[in-house]
Amino acid sequence: MKRNIQVLLLLFLGVGLLHISLLSDLYLRYVRPGLQPALIASGVLLIVLGAVSAARDGFPFNRPRTHHDHEHGHGHAGGPRVAWLLYVPALTILFLAPPALGSYTAARDDAKAPTAPKPSASGSSLFPALPAGQAVEMSLNDFTSRAVWDTSGTLKGRTVRLTGFVTPGRHGTWYVSRLAISCCAADATVRKVRVHAAAAPPADAWVTVTGTWHPTGEVGTDGAAPALDATAVRRVTEPKDPYNDVVATWGRG
Amino acid sequence: MDSDVDIAPPLRERGDGDRASPPRHDGPDRVDGLGTAVRVASHSLIAGVPVVVLGGAALMWGPDVTAALDHRAVAAWRTVFTAIVIQGVPFLLLGTLVSAAISAFVPARVFTRLLPSNPALAVPVAGAAGAVLPGCECASVPVAGSLMRRGVTPAAALAFLLSAPAINPIVLVATYVAFPGNPGMVAARLIASLLTSVAMGWLWLRAGREEWLRLPKGPTGHTPGAGRAEEFRVSLQHDFLHAGGFLVVGAAAAATFNVAVPHSVLRLFSDSPWLSVALLGLLAVLLAVCSEADAFVAASLTGFSPTARLAFMVVGPMVDLKLIALQSGTFGRAFALRFSSATWVTAMLCSALVGWWLL
Repeated sequence: MKRNIQVLLLLFLGVGLLHISLLSDLYLRYVRPGLQPALIASGVLLIVLGAVSAARDGFPFNRPRTHHDHEHGHGHAGGPRVAWLLYVPALTILFLAPPALGSYTAARDDAKAPTAPKPSASGSSLFPALPAGQAVEMSLNDFTSRAVWDTSGTLKGRTVRLTGFVTPGRHGTWYVSRLAISCCAADATVRKVRVHAAAAPPADAWVTVTGTWHPTGEVGTDGAAPALDATAVRRVTEPKDPYNDVVATWGRG
Repeated sequence: MDSDVDIAPPLRERGDGDRASPPRHDGPDRVDGLGTAVRVASHSLIAGVPVVVLGGAALMWGPDVTAALDHRAVAAWRTVFTAIVIQGVPFLLLGTLVSAAISAFVPARVFTRLLPSNPALAVPVAGAAGAVLPGCECASVPVAGSLMRRGVTPAAALAFLLSAPAINPIVLVATYVAFPGNPGMVAARLIASLLTSVAMGWLWLRAGREEWLRLPKGPTGHTPGAGRAEEFRVSLQHDFLHAGGFLVVGAAAAATFNVAVPHSVLRLFSDSPWLSVALLGLLAVLLAVCSEADAFVAASLTGFSPTARLAFMVVGPMVDLKLIALQSGTFGRAFALRFSSATWVTAMLCSALVGWWLL
């Protein structure tokens, strides 16, 4: 790869990184929020590197001063020619940023209950009573673990509100679902709650479902599955960070 | 696949055409100023063309292309692929910064002083030194390459390569968070990873052959007159672009498996203890999850024995598709295939041993 093409690639990649991390929130579709400073720093560094290279090698083109180029052409086989491939992600994030993972990924995994929580040492209840009020906003994580493992019945008779995207199931069933990531989209894990008594909105639409717990299977065993009897389904806009399954107003995530 | 691939060729052609054009800047002095101005103007014009063309194409055909890419599996593949590359780039950059700094600023005698001269002793020291490089596995490959370039014995550099992404504090803390109330898992991971890397270093001393290893050659030989900073910049740029290309190859392979293999298939095998250890070891290779995140993935693989999950976390940072691609770029394919398969077997043995002992 010629020096000047390298310069162009560094600039593309640097601008692309800044585009998704600094100028927009697109990076939240791919990686966890904590990586933002690292992405911005990388973008700035790549642009600086590209700019310095441009200045030193004579931006951009045909100053035949580099003895390295000869080496690159023939020297170690498959050398930096492989760097051409970096244009794919660089241009992808600049012009064609793919969407966040959605129902395709969520549908492939079974609605799996979260791991059984361990009793805490202090002896306090794992599942404190829900706050008082008409309808309680809950994260899917909290709701699924209560629906499967909470034998003390804190969900019984309560109206809850869950927000997530629509994942179609078999035979017209559907789920309100979330994906959670710990580092990047490659390690996404699925949380989903089957919704009864409401027609399915289109796949991947974001909805807030209000309803009551629909007990399924024997609570406290692997046989239990989280489900909800819906009383209202409202379309909402996709949140900025689609993987962040935490309800701000009330703590458990 | 992507239309992005189709966008690249015009650039390539232009690059080739450029190469063909004769150098023009050796004219007489008095036209130099004007010549420079013309050259700068024409160059910025040429440089602007791809940006305008690509931007225009994206604006014009963007909706069509997006619709064509809207097939949900394709979209998921692109997202996972982009995610792996994006989260790899900062760590790759960190690794190449460190490796370029080693090549440019740290004299070779520092390493000969720090490491025991006996290679068999240097291996465990280098393995333990892996704890100081914070980051995931993308960072360690270029660093190990530059260590070899600096005359560190390959066995020690390889022990460092294997241990650095597995036992640094960030990864251990992540493991602790992912397995709350189970510090035994952190200890088991630390011990099994260290054991594997030291064993591989010693194995290389006994059975390794120099000719498998294409020792990484720096982009800068000894450039006369080039300053340290210039050397730093050139090797940073070369190493980053080089390793970045291989990161893309590995990310594409890992994304393919990630999208093609549903996790629920794995549950079929979780009943047999031995099969499940081997299966998670294999899964770690295919999924290529970053070592800072693999503890969370391991924790989510409920139904598998602790030993199988340990194997997942020991193998992941040492052997995976992305790493095999990176290693074959840096050290050559002959090396990468042999080394990765030997490491896989060693890692499986070590984690079975440590898991049986501690978990």
